[in-house]
Amino acid sequence: MHLRFRLILPLAAVLAAIMVYPLAFSGWISVHDYRLDRIDDVAFEGIGNYAFILTNPPFWNALTNTVVFVFGAVSIELALGLGLALLLRRMVHLPNTARAILLAPMFITPIAVGLMFRFLLNSEFGVIPHYLAALGIEVDWFGPDLALFSLILIDVWQWTPFMVLMFLAGLEALPKAPFEAARVDGASSWLTFRHLTLPMLRSVILVALIIRALDAFKVFEYVYAITRGGPGDSTETILFYIYKTGFRFFRLGEAASMAFVLVAVVLVLVIALYVAMRRRPGQAP
Amino acid sequence: MTGRPLRYRASQFAVELTVAVAIAIVLFPFVFILATSLKPPHQVAEPGVWWFEASFANWAAVLLHSDVPANILNSLIVSLATVAIALLVGCPAAYSFSRFKAGGPARFTILSASMMPPVILILPLFLVFYHLGLLDTLAGVVVAHLTLVMPVVTWFLIGFFDDVPRELEEQAMIDGCTQFQAFVRVILPTVRPGLAGAGVFGFVLSWNDLFYALILTGGESRTLPVAIAGFWTFRGIDMGKMAVAILLAVVPVLIVSFFIQKHLIRGLGGGAIKS
Repeated sequence: MHLRFRLILPLAAVLAAIMVYPLAFSGWISVHDYRLDRIDDVAFEGIGNYAFILTNPPFWNALTNTVVFVFGAVSIELALGLGLALLLRRMVHLPNTARAILLAPMFITPIAVGLMFRFLLNSEFGVIPHYLAALGIEVDWFGPDLALFSLILIDVWQWTPFMVLMFLAGLEALPKAPFEAARVDGASSWLTFRHLTLPMLRSVILVALIIRALDAFKVFEYVYAITRGGPGDSTETILFYIYKTGFRFFRLGEAASMAFVLVAVVLVLVIALYVAMRRRPGQAP
Repeated sequence: MTGRPLRYRASQFAVELTVAVAIAIVLFPFVFILATSLKPPHQVAEPGVWWFEASFANWAAVLLHSDVPANILNSLIVSLATVAIALLVGCPAAYSFSRFKAGGPARFTILSASMMPPVILILPLFLVFYHLGLLDTLAGVVVAHLTLVMPVVTWFLIGFFDDVPRELEEQAMIDGCTQFQAFVRVILPTVRPGLAGAGVFGFVLSWNDLFYALILTGGESRTLPVAIAGFWTFRGIDMGKMAVAILLAVVPVLIVSFFIQKHLIRGLGGGAIKS
């Protein structure tokens, strides 16, 4: 066998065992009435599970919450990340230290971030409401109106650094000459940003957006740490809802079919990423 | 004449001030959690108190009289085993993808594998582990974490192999090495920073995971994130101890992360961003 295949063989074998096989198994589960509490009595359902979840209001609620979460978090992270990356490049004092500190949150386990903010924002003994109250502002961060928004802010705290990281790399890779020319011609910094930086960063922005969006779709830890889907079902996200259906209510068939609907959404995004990356070969990216 | 430098100095000041504010927002939670971990128990629920007699009661309770050290050991075993296997298997494959131009489709497969939502794999893994008796074992968590870490590590390494000039192994092969020998003796040492970066990144992914570990472990086999999640339940909280556990989970990762940031930029792009 050619060396090329011998080198790939171990990876292919392991991925087949731990990913391809489970994926197929998951597909099988999704078309059966598979319940953890009745494992020996599994009836074929066909598309029954899919038909059920697609008409099931809690599923749509979870999907809507997730889409709002992803859209809100990722767009704020994009704006803040791009701004901070541009500012960091203009730093004169300790730019490397500033960068290292600003990137820190993305390395921390999300459950710790969730619990930290649950503690900081707690309406009884949280430090942030404590000082806001001193200013005369009363905010119930995890009340029905704000809970999802608070989760978005927590995501922004943790994941804006990822955007900063991507944009620092993207800005680093830009050619110098056009910017020199713009400076010589006396272009304002807004004009340079609008007509040089942004268009040249277009593909990096796209990649960063899609990676972040895919990741944000998997939001689970903040919900698990703080709201458990509440108040009511206002922060029930898709992953949390699937987790509940599968491992609290033992309805694996239903959970698996929801997972596949989620993957369909994710797949569309990945293909968009692939197309975007292929469009301009040779150039970044 | 003085207008421009003054305006320049003002805008420079605004830049540094904005970054300083961002740094303060990033650091504040850590500082507050550290303070909380050192507060004597009766002052933990008093957020306005910044001056207090530092007490190590929480640290002693967590480190000496709780399961947290055992949880840390579990996490350490799982993360190290996961990364070791992922590197061993992923590295040759990444080299092959980079060199033999199995090209676009192979890279695309790895990329989409790394973006597979864990929720679709957890159901079958749970059932398979149930039948194999792997529930509540560290081995089960390692297998689950491999689905998370292996594609990412491979993706990461492809980018690093792409950067190694082909002349290097061609030269080695002229000197009488087979291509495999050239890979092991010549190429691997040159991508050592990449291996370290990918290894640390994979370690962090495994160390930070809650989702798989929450479902697959219990009792003795709980990893640190699962244990941390257990500090705040409907039965109540112990914030001082929770603060200690959070710091124990976070600080080691922050320290190693400082060393890999540079490689991370290179690796995450995986050939997407040429720097």
